[in-house]
Amino acid sequence: MKLNRVFSYLVLVVLLAGMLAACAPAATPTPAAPAATQAPAQPAATAAPAATVAPTAVPATEAPTAAPAATNGNTLVIAMNIDDVVTLDPAYAGETTNLFIHINTYDTLVDIRPGDLNTIVPRLAEKWDVNSDFTEFTFHLRKDAKFASGNPVTAADVVFSWNRLLNVAGAPAFNLDGVGKVEAVDDYTVKVSTSVDKATGKAQPLPQFLASASNPSLGIQDSKLVKQHGGTDAADAKTTDKAKEWMDQNSAGSGPFILTKWAPKAEIDLVANKNYFKGAPKFDKVVITHVSDPTTKLQMLQKGDADMIDSLSTDLVDTAKADPNVQVSVDQSLDENYLAMAYACPDAIKAKDPAKFATLQSPDSFAIICKKEVRQAIALGIDYEGITKAVLNGYGARAPSIIPIGILGVDPTKTQGRDVAKAKALLATAGYPNGATIDLYYASNSTRDTVAAKIKSDLAEIGLTVNLKPLEQSVYLTQMRAQQLPMAFGGWTPDYLDVTMWSDYFGLGDRSIAFRMRFDNKAAHDLAVTIRTTSDPAIRKDATEKLQAIFIEEMPFTMLYQVQYVHAFSKDLKGFAFHPVWFVDLFSLSK
Amino acid sequence: MSLIEHLTKRLLLMIPMAIGITLLLFIMTHIVPSNPLAVILTEKSMEDKNAVQAATEKWGLDKPLPEQYLIYINNLLHGDLGTSFKTKNPVSLDIKTFLPATVELSIGSFIFAILLGLPLGIISAVKSGKFIDQFTRIVSLLGASMPPFWSGLLVLFVFYYKLGWAPGPGRINSRITAPVPVTGLMVFDSISQGNMPALWSALSHLILPSIILGWFTLALVARITRSSMLEILSQDFIRTARAKGLPERMVVLRHAFRNALIPLVTLVGLAFAGLMSGAIMTETIFSWPGIGRYAVEAAANLDYPAITGTTLMIAIIYMLVNIFVDALYSIIDPRIREG
Repeated sequence: MKLNRVFSYLVLVVLLAGMLAACAPAATPTPAAPAATQAPAQPAATAAPAATVAPTAVPATEAPTAAPAATNGNTLVIAMNIDDVVTLDPAYAGETTNLFIHINTYDTLVDIRPGDLNTIVPRLAEKWDVNSDFTEFTFHLRKDAKFASGNPVTAADVVFSWNRLLNVAGAPAFNLDGVGKVEAVDDYTVKVSTSVDKATGKAQPLPQFLASASNPSLGIQDSKLVKQHGGTDAADAKTTDKAKEWMDQNSAGSGPFILTKWAPKAEIDLVANKNYFKGAPKFDKVVITHVSDPTTKLQMLQKGDADMIDSLSTDLVDTAKADPNVQVSVDQSLDENYLAMAYACPDAIKAKDPAKFATLQSPDSFAIICKKEVRQAIALGIDYEGITKAVLNGYGARAPSIIPIGILGVDPTKTQGRDVAKAKALLATAGYPNGATIDLYYASNSTRDTVAAKIKSDLAEIGLTVNLKPLEQSVYLTQMRAQQLPMAFGGWTPDYLDVTMWSDYFGLGDRSIAFRMRFDNKAAHDLAVTIRTTSDPAIRKDATEKLQAIFIEEMPFTMLYQVQYVHAFSKDLKGFAFHPVWFVDLFSLSK
Repeated sequence: MSLIEHLTKRLLLMIPMAIGITLLLFIMTHIVPSNPLAVILTEKSMEDKNAVQAATEKWGLDKPLPEQYLIYINNLLHGDLGTSFKTKNPVSLDIKTFLPATVELSIGSFIFAILLGLPLGIISAVKSGKFIDQFTRIVSLLGASMPPFWSGLLVLFVFYYKLGWAPGPGRINSRITAPVPVTGLMVFDSISQGNMPALWSALSHLILPSIILGWFTLALVARITRSSMLEILSQDFIRTARAKGLPERMVVLRHAFRNALIPLVTLVGLAFAGLMSGAIMTETIFSWPGIGRYAVEAAANLDYPAITGTTLMIAIIYMLVNIFVDALYSIIDPRIREG
């Protein structure tokens, strides 16, 4: 048989079939077409709201760059995980990647630079005055700063940006918690007054405000441009602000780069702002492309398809170091992982709120873990070095309490390691010489599964049997927030660099994690309030040290590890400096 | 005429089926003991009682479940799939954003699977037991048994990293100016805008993920083609055809293959719908911004509107493919139309 001819016929037939399949989306009247297109087309065609939104999917601004130009020589390509982004409007966005994009497209009034996390330096504000009780902040803006649009940066823009943030009440609005009023004194002076406490009639002190003003979400927006695209800072902005769709695809800032495109879960494009007040950036264009697989990211860097990647999986560090074309930088982050232990006993919970008592998961575990000695024993029973090795290949550090290394007042020498004998003795003191059984709840993923298994085996050595209760993330969060869990894993990433980011959330019994784990300790509460309401660095440092001592003694949370990130970039890239909140300032990078 | 009547009836029947699916989905997603506010609000705004109250009202979570469902159905009948908790965009807009990438990849995979699967299946039937048959068996076995998260990484390592024959992940080279998304199908947009570098880049980026996603379908197509061809080649009418002195090519392609097509059509139709429903693993490995990743994230976040929207869309694709396959039967096999 003439197989060759048979084969060539077959190829032809199949090609035709393939083309038919490929062409099907174009045709609609035949029943053949729906298979491929009807379903996607249907919602768009029939949905009224979709119809009004649809045009924004094709940003008009892209047209000038759309000319079929070939490669762009002076482009920086970053391969990183940008899956988390749901919007790029700083008034709404609250994800990790947003902080990185915003700090490079918008300018904040003040800045905290990599290398010195405890000093606030000028950015759009040349200088600032703070009154003695930290209720009034006056910022004096530099007069030479212009937005990428060419409009000057004025006090009115600051007022607009922050009022818009407050009034649309999106995810980052909490950065302005405690702020009562933002007003323009003159074109280049802004006054911020803190909110008035209804009970006392006095303005509340807000010493951490300068630190939170350095959060990229508080970057200043070009009020004229944002208003042009439907933005508003009015009290009813929550329903009347329409700028988000435009701000998702464009930026309205004065920062070193301008956002020109966002393809969700795929790519973010920035171009240089030649008007930047510090001078033109070294790169004309920055393309941030989504890649989640760590091996692939490194391969792209090695092949030259990417100039930089977000963070290197620690098992690949040796491969990266061995490549002469790759530079590696190990950076301490403030991202923490901790083990939280319930502070209140079931009897007290029942007496206070019987309905809530009924919802407790594992009340027996509550009864055991609410004893201080048990919590101390658990903290001493865990092999932290082993955990850091197992999940981070050793790229991790550990602070003495939940307040991380790098923050004023934290003394790393106070960190306690493992002490099995002491842990056993403490368990005996607590009334469990023969051990006990407790349940550990956590949102399951591969890292947490490893850590949980390690904790289970570590604590078995001190006589504690740990039942692992892995949960879906959403279920876990719901139960933890409802104060139902006796022992839980958590992670914490700061939004701004001030000790209140920890003392508030872990020390104030009615706030966040402290509330969820029922850590209601009078002394800790008072110290956290002192930190919140004092400006004097000496007093704050002292209070932080004392609060840390209480955390160590009462042990409601034991720090498991503070991650070190390994960053990798091409050998000719200069100026990389890691920032624990917003990753990297693209303006400082060059080739 | 009866064909058109039949099709109309089938299309109309889709409406109650779709509503049934939404009811099932609604019940299933609401059984999960979780608070959707955890997704709607950020960690820190959960503190704020006003924010919690406002979000509860805005998203209608304070209403009784049957009422929530009726509101959903009413919106759906007006073409509104609701707004995603997570992205805060209309679900229809999200689907419009993420579906084209999946459609493009599915078409690529489908072409790959058919282009290779059919000839391999036919040849291994004709040359049953010979080398080519064994070879096809191995290729099919690998395709059916290798998980994409492994084979995907493997082909990237070999063909991208080591050999440099294929481009890396993503839909297009980052250093190339991408076409303006009109249809969202990058190949199509590149052609219509005359952007040749982008077209070339987009096509080359399709190769590896299409192979990985299409491999399993290829295995199915090749094996089913082989077995139905073998069955038919042993029948009397084939012997008659051969006895008449027809060239072997005619016997295989005209007589045997046409009859072997019927089981294949069902299979291929469903396989195409399967490809369309998104391939989370392939999309993740190749950084492909498709509907599969969107749907899985929606499920993990318990994003009710997004889960219901994407599932409904996939269900509709399946139903339409089924109808299409039925219609195709009657074209391939006139006996069915007459019957």
